[in-house]
Amino acid sequence: MISPELVGIMIILIGLYGLLTKENLIKIVLSINVISIGLVLFFIGVGYVEGADVPIMPREKVVDPLPATLMLTTLVVDVAITSLALALILRMRREEE
Amino acid sequence: MIPLIVAFPLIMAFLTSILPALRREKFSKYLFLIGMLSSWIILPQIIENLPFNEIVGNWNRISGIEVAADNYNLLFIMAELILSAFVALYVYGNYYPKKIENKAYVLLLLLHAGLLGAFISRDLFNYYIYMEIASVASFALVGISKEKGARRAAFKYAIFSLLASYIFILGIGIIYLKTGYLNLALIKENLRMSREINVALTLAFTSLLLKSGIFPLHFWLPDAHSKADAPISALLSGLVVKAPAYGMILLTLTFPIGIFVQRTLLTLAFLSMFFGIAMAILQKNSERLLAYHTVSQMGYVLLGIALLNPLGAAYYALAHALFKGGLFLSVGTIAEHYNTRDLEKLSYRSSKLLAIAIILLSLAIGGISPFIGAFGKSKISEGLYGFLKYLLYLGGIGTLVSFTKLNYYLSKRKEKAEIPRKKTIIPLLLGTLTLVGGIYLYPHLNILKDLSSIAMAFILFYLLKNLGVFEISTEAFIPEQFSSLGKEINAYMFLFTALLLLFLLNFL
Repeated sequence: MISPELVGIMIILIGLYGLLTKENLIKIVLSINVISIGLVLFFIGVGYVEGADVPIMPREKVVDPLPATLMLTTLVVDVAITSLALALILRMRREEE
Repeated sequence: MIPLIVAFPLIMAFLTSILPALRREKFSKYLFLIGMLSSWIILPQIIENLPFNEIVGNWNRISGIEVAADNYNLLFIMAELILSAFVALYVYGNYYPKKIENKAYVLLLLLHAGLLGAFISRDLFNYYIYMEIASVASFALVGISKEKGARRAAFKYAIFSLLASYIFILGIGIIYLKTGYLNLALIKENLRMSREINVALTLAFTSLLLKSGIFPLHFWLPDAHSKADAPISALLSGLVVKAPAYGMILLTLTFPIGIFVQRTLLTLAFLSMFFGIAMAILQKNSERLLAYHTVSQMGYVLLGIALLNPLGAAYYALAHALFKGGLFLSVGTIAEHYNTRDLEKLSYRSSKLLAIAIILLSLAIGGISPFIGAFGKSKISEGLYGFLKYLLYLGGIGTLVSFTKLNYYLSKRKEKAEIPRKKTIIPLLLGTLTLVGGIYLYPHLNILKDLSSIAMAFILFYLLKNLGVFEISTEAFIPEQFSSLGKEINAYMFLFTALLLLFLLNFL
């Protein structure tokens, strides 16, 4: 069985491939986003417990909600950084002209 | 109590950012100053109750976030508070044009809060979040600089720093998967070393090395630090690169560090030291010279970490924050008033106070004895043995050579520039602080050794000058500008990935 952690790491490597080969600055920003998506999947996999329920209301056995919460914070950082990087690209274009 | 140290600047950042919506923009500078200085109120209580831990909100350790102050991070907190107070006074008033003033203040407050938050944290994820707040604020602060090419530098800085953060969280994720905790004290209690933990540590260390600008992962640093405005460069070089160094200290205090990691860090520390000096000596741009010295000085901090001497590293970080912050402020002030950063066109002849400040700070960074640099070096060299001690001494002489060059160019008589009194007093205060702090912490005079190193530095400087070394352009062997930014990022990304793989292969 393939686990979400493994898929997460594979997606991170795809993002890394983008960073290594793509010259287009927007594609570089997108590659960083791909890495962050892989990271989110990796963390969700970390919190998963086989056969457990959602962590809403007390139940017998639940998945670990902490990694998911951590990833919300990371996603916020990701959104902020993406907009900042795109704004910088626009400014750079204007400077070159 | 300690969380308040971060809460004050964060609240002020929020209040400052809503002022334009309330049409009260003229108050933003007051809120800014309050935010930057209010954390000082907490400091006496922290020092009184040292060492001090607290779980925010009085939760138990497993569910809460722990913050602490002890002998190590108190030094980082002190460095942060002192340097950011000076920078705040420097920018206060009319440094930034009216249009961006409010935003620059908000970003500076966020940077201040982020750094303090990172320095007090004892929880890996909390540490990452605060370091990220500080980093994001600093990308934007580099981006608003007046200098041409600053946007390019900011973009490069943002991409590499962000990649490093993600690799760092991946490491944290693996640690969480294996131990079940993010709190460092609990991790230490429940730790069972395994191959996975080693991989996680390698990922974390490599990314923190990138973030703290250690050779060969320094490539983003000279650009970002030299293109930013003077006060921002002071904060970046003085403090922002210290946050990842503090992260490495936290990791070395929590995990047993293998001999391979220790050897690698030691080698990188010395490489970084000498590479930084060699590149600095060849620079013709005043700010780039200082930026390369940050690469070299971070080598000293890393040396302390590699020798498992966190106190030495922390003391050196404090010393470096003071003198490098002062140097960026003083040299940057001159450069701004001459409207160029070309060393050959700058001079400190028109302002006596700045001249004194730069000479004091140059002596401090060279490790001359009553200054704080000497104290930092003595702390670092405690664990050193054999020929490594001589290497450290050699590094000191190299630093002095490079600063002889800086002072040589600056002391030449050139056209005059009017520099306002306030901008000269702040670097001078920092310069005297390095002297007073040094005398207070380490009242030793080592006249013979110091005079001989200064003399050797002078001789070496004139030798290199007559050999024409300063005419060599660094572009010939290390391209400063690739044909496109995309290609540059690809190339450096390759370097980072290769290094990461090399370290990881060791654990196969």
